[in-house]
Amino acid sequence: MKKVTAFLAAVAMMASLTGGALSVQAADKTDLTIAVDVDVDTLHSTDYSTTVEHDILSQIYDPLMYMNPDGTHDPEPRIAESYEISDDGLDYTFHLRKDVTFHNGTPLTSKDVKFSLELCQASEYQGSMVTGLDSVEAPDDYTVVCHLSNPYSPFMLGVCQVNIASKDYYDSSADDFANNPVGSGPYKYTGRSKGSNVTLEAYDGYYRGEAPIKEVTFEVIPDQSTTAIALQTGEVNFATIESSTIAQLSANPNIQIAEVANSGFTYVSMNTEKEPFNDVKVRQAVNYAINRENLVQVCYDGEAEVNSNICSKDRFGYSDDQFQYTYDPEKAKELLAEAGIETPYDLGEMLVAEKYSNIATVLQSDLAAVGLNVTISVKEFNSYIGDLTSGNYGITALEMTLDGDTQMLEMAFTTDYIGTANNARYSDPAMDELFEKSRTETDTDARKELFNEILTKAQDEAIYAVIDNPLTLFAYNTDLNCPEFPYEGIYSIYDFSWAE
Amino acid sequence: MHKYVIKRLLYMIPVLLGVAFLVFTILSLTPGDPGSIILGMTAKPEAIAALNKEFGYDQPFLVRFFNYIGDIIFHFSLGTSYQSRQPVITDIMARFPNTLLLTVFSMSIASILGISLGILSAVRQYSVLDHTLVVVALIFASIPGFWLGLMLMLLFSLKLGWLPSYGAGSLKHFILPTLTVCMGSAAGLLRLTRSAMLETVRQEYIRTAKAKGASPKRVIWKHALRNALLPVVTTLGTSFGASLGGAIIAETVFAMPGMGTLITTAIRQKDIPVVMGATLFLATLFSLIILIVDVLYAFIDPRIKAKYQNGGKVRE
Repeated sequence: MKKVTAFLAAVAMMASLTGGALSVQAADKTDLTIAVDVDVDTLHSTDYSTTVEHDILSQIYDPLMYMNPDGTHDPEPRIAESYEISDDGLDYTFHLRKDVTFHNGTPLTSKDVKFSLELCQASEYQGSMVTGLDSVEAPDDYTVVCHLSNPYSPFMLGVCQVNIASKDYYDSSADDFANNPVGSGPYKYTGRSKGSNVTLEAYDGYYRGEAPIKEVTFEVIPDQSTTAIALQTGEVNFATIESSTIAQLSANPNIQIAEVANSGFTYVSMNTEKEPFNDVKVRQAVNYAINRENLVQVCYDGEAEVNSNICSKDRFGYSDDQFQYTYDPEKAKELLAEAGIETPYDLGEMLVAEKYSNIATVLQSDLAAVGLNVTISVKEFNSYIGDLTSGNYGITALEMTLDGDTQMLEMAFTTDYIGTANNARYSDPAMDELFEKSRTETDTDARKELFNEILTKAQDEAIYAVIDNPLTLFAYNTDLNCPEFPYEGIYSIYDFSWAE
Repeated sequence: MHKYVIKRLLYMIPVLLGVAFLVFTILSLTPGDPGSIILGMTAKPEAIAALNKEFGYDQPFLVRFFNYIGDIIFHFSLGTSYQSRQPVITDIMARFPNTLLLTVFSMSIASILGISLGILSAVRQYSVLDHTLVVVALIFASIPGFWLGLMLMLLFSLKLGWLPSYGAGSLKHFILPTLTVCMGSAAGLLRLTRSAMLETVRQEYIRTAKAKGASPKRVIWKHALRNALLPVVTTLGTSFGASLGGAIIAETVFAMPGMGTLITTAIRQKDIPVVMGATLFLATLFSLIILIVDVLYAFIDPRIKAKYQNGGKVRE
């Protein structure tokens, strides 16, 4: 009984709580705890599928070169110190550093690179990274040549994402290779506890010098509210957070928030094979009907960049000259009238997965304001994806990531991808041809112009109604020095350090 | 008694086969296939097909089912996870100890608190103490677990800094999840014990006991409690079994890897071997616990003991 009353008193006390801040001792702190929202299933260098797995693997493995995905930076040397591309765009030659070693002490040579690229090519999971690769050759210990069958300009960005692993280690045990990885990156794997955490330790033989942060723990915390509390107590030092906890966290002086631009986008997809969405005027009307600023406030707490262009603003190929749809309900009504639609008009079901149902609710009222009525139908995610990819829907809203080279946008627009990521089921030989050209064009300016044509065409025809690019949000301890996060928010713990 | 137990153990075989078939069927009927769930929307259809083939998911439903059962019977194997590609049993064993500890802690505290306060409440019916207990129990029975968990975390982790907010590394990590899970169960048990006791003390044999001059203590502990405990033990047994299935809310809020999150994640990813393995593991445990509860009845209630000893026939 006493216990119960004491407990009740404690609950009552909560009312008076304001986010109390614990100060964290930064002096001579060398460990770092990072919260991730899902457990890793594997640490295989190429057969992984989730962002968390990617983030952890990229601390353990190094790539040939580091390339900022925005397409405007030159590749930085990592395992390879230089590269050449032949004039015909078919041969990529990489010259490797001679002082790179794996965590087990064995030197990294061209046979490991050849093995890693071939392993990636054969992978059902990450094989698309080396699209275009025909064969790999290792003329000497420190030279690797990739042969392509046709010129493929996004190849460089893709090949720079491949984790370089040890051939001998793979040959000794494929099981260890997947669960006990040995890389050549700044951190070596020290262990994991299923469902709980993965631990890493700075590799003292790292060729760029040992990392300032010595021990790293990735803790699995599925609930965002728990992550927010653990960040405030100092149990967690760094985490990717959702916009819902940002107000609470930014009020805490010990926590810093970074907002990083991202190529992922929120969009309305309309099935162009079905009436009335086959009419460009109807699709344009939907584009004008959406109040994007309002949606970003309501569904993303303002943590997204309004953009009606499928290409995000930091991505190669984007230009402010490309058309932007803005909120204009009157224009939407005019377009509907021109299309011969008598409002109020019933568009039928707006099919969404549960996590996007709040977006659908906002869209429903925007559409109703111009006389288009939808009923929202919520489905479980897997069955939703089934309907979406098979075209068994009229209108829907979701988020998508087509990261990597801008060429990846072909998945949203070309005939080949109907049934996978071309949700609008849009098919136009002219569009297919433009993507075919950008695929082989090696001149940067010419490629940029091709993407300009593509994106202008996408906007003119209102193939999708893109709404925004949600920002990647990082929350971390103020004493942790993190350099500016690059576009897409791919971080390297090697660059982090604790303030003195 | 032995005969009875052996008979019950044999009954478990068809029950478990039935569970396996049912769960396997439901999983196969749900939309989506493991390949496309793992590789995502942007994957090429050929890659998805290759992965499904690797998992044996291209085979017809019945073939997959019998292969699965065959693996269990002939190789004692619960299969390999589609996601982690490791034996399902390692996934279960990484999580079950946490769930077991959490269950044992929370059920012990819940039964001690619930039963003793329930008796107290019944004995002093209509007193201030009784009313207070009933109201407090109602409050805790109605508080949602995730809210209670977060509030406890705000107080003990953030404000006071006494306890860790997440994880399962030490006994300290179990305090908040245990409190979160046990308060609701304790409240339920309190209410159940109270009403069972009240019903029993009104029976004629209690009046007889009182009339023959037995002390009030003896009447309560010796005569009334034994009878009143039967429904309480039944509830305890089933809720013990059910909590071995994982306290999904407490596990999620306190980031404690347990059976609940293992199964829910596996269902979402359509990781059939993990769902099947974990379900069968739990179904076996659950059946065993129910059997133990039934045997316990015999010790609490001599009438039932007599029934078991006579091979199920009640001697009138």
